[in-house]
Amino acid sequence: MNKLKPILAQLNKFPRIALIVIGLFVALGTFAPWLAPQDPSAQNLLTASQGPSVAHWLGTDHLGRDTLSRLILAANTSLVSVGSVLIIAMTIGILMGTIAGYHRGWVDDLLMRVVDVGLSIPSLITALAVIGIVGPGYWTMVLALALAWWPMSGRISRAVAVSIMSKPHIEALRVLGASPWRIYFGHLLPGTIGAVMVYATADAGTAALAVATLSFLGLGIQPPTPEWGQMLVDALPYLESDPRQVILPGLALTAAVIGFNILGEAIALNRVPRPLTRRMLAMRRTEVAGWSKENSDA
Amino acid sequence: MHDEPLLSVSNLTVDLLTAKSAIRPVDGVSYTVRQGECLAIVGESGSGKTVMNFAPLGLMPTGVTTQLSGSVRFDGHELIGLSEPELQHIRGKSIGFIFQDPMSALNPVRRIGRQIAEMAELHLNMTPRAAEARALELVKLVGISDPAARLRQYPHELSGGLRQRIVIATALAGEPKLLIADEPTTALDVTVQAQILRLLKDLQKRLNMAMVLITHDMGVVAGAADNIVVMYAARTAERGPVDKVLVTPRHPYTRGLINAIPRREDPIGSEFRGLPGIPPTLGAPIKGCAFAPRCDLAIPACTGSRPPLVQSVDSSVVVACPVVNQGRAAA
Amino acid sequence: MIHFISKRLKHSLVLLFLASVVCFTLVVSAPGNVAVLIAELRGAVAVPGYVAQVEEEIGLNKPLLMRYVDWLGDAVTGDFGISYRTGQAVSADLPQRMMVTGTLIAGSAVIATLLSLLLGFLGAFWPYKLPDRVSRGLALIGASTPTFFVGALMIYGFSVTFQLFPSFGFNGPISWVLPWLTVAVLPAAVLSRVVRVGLEEAMTSPYVLTAKSKGLGRTAILFREALPNITPVFINALGTQVGLMTATGIIVEPLFAWQGVGDYFLAGVRFRDFMVVQACLLIFLSFFIVVNLIVDLAVLMTDPRIRRQWS
Ligand SMILES: Nc1ncnc2c1ncn2[C@@H]1O[C@H](COP(=O)(O)OP(=O)(O)OP(=O)(O)O)[C@@H](O)[C@H]1O
Ligand code: SF4
Ligand SMILES: [Mg+2]
Repeated sequence: MNKLKPILAQLNKFPRIALIVIGLFVALGTFAPWLAPQDPSAQNLLTASQGPSVAHWLGTDHLGRDTLSRLILAANTSLVSVGSVLIIAMTIGILMGTIAGYHRGWVDDLLMRVVDVGLSIPSLITALAVIGIVGPGYWTMVLALALAWWPMSGRISRAVAVSIMSKPHIEALRVLGASPWRIYFGHLLPGTIGAVMVYATADAGTAALAVATLSFLGLGIQPPTPEWGQMLVDALPYLESDPRQVILPGLALTAAVIGFNILGEAIALNRVPRPLTRRMLAMRRTEVAGWSKENSDA
Repeated sequence: MHDEPLLSVSNLTVDLLTAKSAIRPVDGVSYTVRQGECLAIVGESGSGKTVMNFAPLGLMPTGVTTQLSGSVRFDGHELIGLSEPELQHIRGKSIGFIFQDPMSALNPVRRIGRQIAEMAELHLNMTPRAAEARALELVKLVGISDPAARLRQYPHELSGGLRQRIVIATALAGEPKLLIADEPTTALDVTVQAQILRLLKDLQKRLNMAMVLITHDMGVVAGAADNIVVMYAARTAERGPVDKVLVTPRHPYTRGLINAIPRREDPIGSEFRGLPGIPPTLGAPIKGCAFAPRCDLAIPACTGSRPPLVQSVDSSVVVACPVVNQGRAAA
Repeated sequence: MIHFISKRLKHSLVLLFLASVVCFTLVVSAPGNVAVLIAELRGAVAVPGYVAQVEEEIGLNKPLLMRYVDWLGDAVTGDFGISYRTGQAVSADLPQRMMVTGTLIAGSAVIATLLSLLLGFLGAFWPYKLPDRVSRGLALIGASTPTFFVGALMIYGFSVTFQLFPSFGFNGPISWVLPWLTVAVLPAAVLSRVVRVGLEEAMTSPYVLTAKSKGLGRTAILFREALPNITPVFINALGTQVGLMTATGIIVEPLFAWQGVGDYFLAGVRFRDFMVVQACLLIFLSFFIVVNLIVDLAVLMTDPRIRRQWS
């Protein structure tokens, strides 16, 4: 219980709405198979393209599949793919970043040059180029996105690693003759992983967007696995007659991304002083009202 | 009526409310400045000198809320309670300001000429052309060589001393009646400090302005000011004509400050004679005399209640120290 | 100044060279035998000796360096080889496609700039008040909505429900509106935050306090003091966003049936038409490099501090 407290205090610093949305997304994604009211791939052409009903709360798509179940399952697809992409990207990024931050010198220069180039090319183009060369498929998508994503975590890990390496206690360890391995695995790596994880979480929104975009383009998640981008493109030909099937997956994805983006904005250091909130101001006013005022200049 | 001082501050109290805390950096301060006079405000860093002069004119940085009470009368008008647009009307036009740090006071991406000229356009209703000419005049006035070239330059191309001269020229551009100079020399080289001070003094005389000169350097006061207010921890410790306060300082804090001025007869390399101890951190008003922890004359009664400002032997000097004032009564 | 420009130009040329190496390597390192693939695509893989003939035809049996030099020489003159899929020259309608994509990016960049300045200034003028909250909310939604969804909504709203603009085709300004708006949403959202945060940060600088002490009003301070200070930052961010628009174009062009470079690239990826992928990639990378060059020069023009370093 006591261990939970610092974690809760940490979480309290972030906007509640972001935590709720992200929590909902993760919960839906994790428990989707049990939460979905119906079989998401059960087709029934007799009940195709229907509006909301008791049987199908959000209606059915053009193949008569239950939209609500598919939307829920899509959260699972998204969560798993985004998780894989970020884990692979972070592994590469943290390795490269810590190596650069540990060695400095030309290794650092070279790796950071690569990172710069990687960051200057839009991730969608990098990912598509890889898919174009290797050919589409689930793991190609994951690897292609990881390849487009690692420079970000690479840059952050390097910055964190450099700051850790310049701390006095690392210097002391070095002087005391600690082996490079101990410094690297005992101090540098754990410290960096912690810091990068937070940023990676905030970045999950854009990763989810990328997965959905590739699926929308037909180069990511393939039918019949439900995925928001792919559901949307599936329903696009019926936009005029049944816009709901386009709008629902779009909204689900947007909501998830908004959650992550709010978190990201909260994390991005805000150096600008803000005016007091009204509540704060009232508090300070009452504080000051208690102070006596006397005219000393009689 | 024409006898009324240009600026008369009475019982001014400023509370600053920030996200972290509420503090009272100015606590019941009074003083007056007449036309053509120079008032020096001295005190250690953090004693409230800047806030006292800038808060009533709405010149506090973002992130703080200011609460004012008391009265600040300028040129026959009460400033406290004025709305932001009304204050804006007074700033620049009737009161010119010189900030503590000339390095950051100028906009880095705008030409110096524009930064001066826009004052003349704004307050003297000049055309851009006429304003440029006026800027040139002002830059000459503050003693800058090659003035025409300077006007086309950007702040980072000038030295600190030159920048401060530009800031002064800007403050003068609106032909103000009062100039508030906040430690105009602190950020400069020692050699330049004297020049800038001489310049300010000279300009004040020539333009017959009133001037409030904020400083924590007693040496500066002697040559420049007519009256002095000694601030300690948000309150006035002593106030009076410079020639009296500097010659016979009464308040223990004033004495300490004057003692701290390095003297010519000090052996080279002798220890710097600063005041022992550090000033209190501001927060809620302190109950007794704020100086008590550092004062060698302190008696238990000092921490009981706030010492009032009382006229001393010389009626033009007021001192907030009952111990000293009673000494007078006994003598 | 001249020194900076020449140095910067050299830098760009090095980058262009690297980009060409990347594009070349990407295709060379593609798994599988390209000759077999082409033979397959032409339906003649079973013909004996045909694969070898293809190898000969596209110069696969030459040393790598030679192939690179050949390829680069051709590419510089606008010859990107033969499409594996169609057998036509890759460059056949490239100029037309670049024009289409250029139209898309130029229009969107203008819209995004105007919109972001408007939203950013609204927010900075009334910080933490209603206009700021609205602007911030719009920015958040704009930055979080997937572009393909934005496009679908645009079509549904402006083309299906209110038949104001056509939902597809590249036929004059009326047909450009929806794609422009679709592409502009994301950069407008991101840039509005850049403007808003940049202005607010500038408004806390000491020189703003000076400006206030001079008697300037809030509007004058925002435009005269703060705006020039965020211009270099804004130009930088705009450059990044314009680069990103190539990626957005890949989604939006097919959605509105525009035959641009993005659409071409996507088709190349879909059908694994390496020559097309390679050509489009080279165009994209060159575009980024040129945009970056322009951005650096523009920043040089707007920031006297940097200008001074190089004069
Ligand atoms: N913007 C602000 N936000 C919070 N506190 C402030 C702010 N400005 C001043 N203060 C506080 O008000 C008190 C008085 O500050 P002020 O700047 O007036 O001192 P000063 O006498 O001018 O000192 P210095 O000689 O260093 O300029 C200080 O304790 C300071 O911490
Ligand atoms: S009131 Fe007491 S503590 Fe304060 S200055 Fe006078 S003697 Fe010292
Ligand atoms: Mg100060």
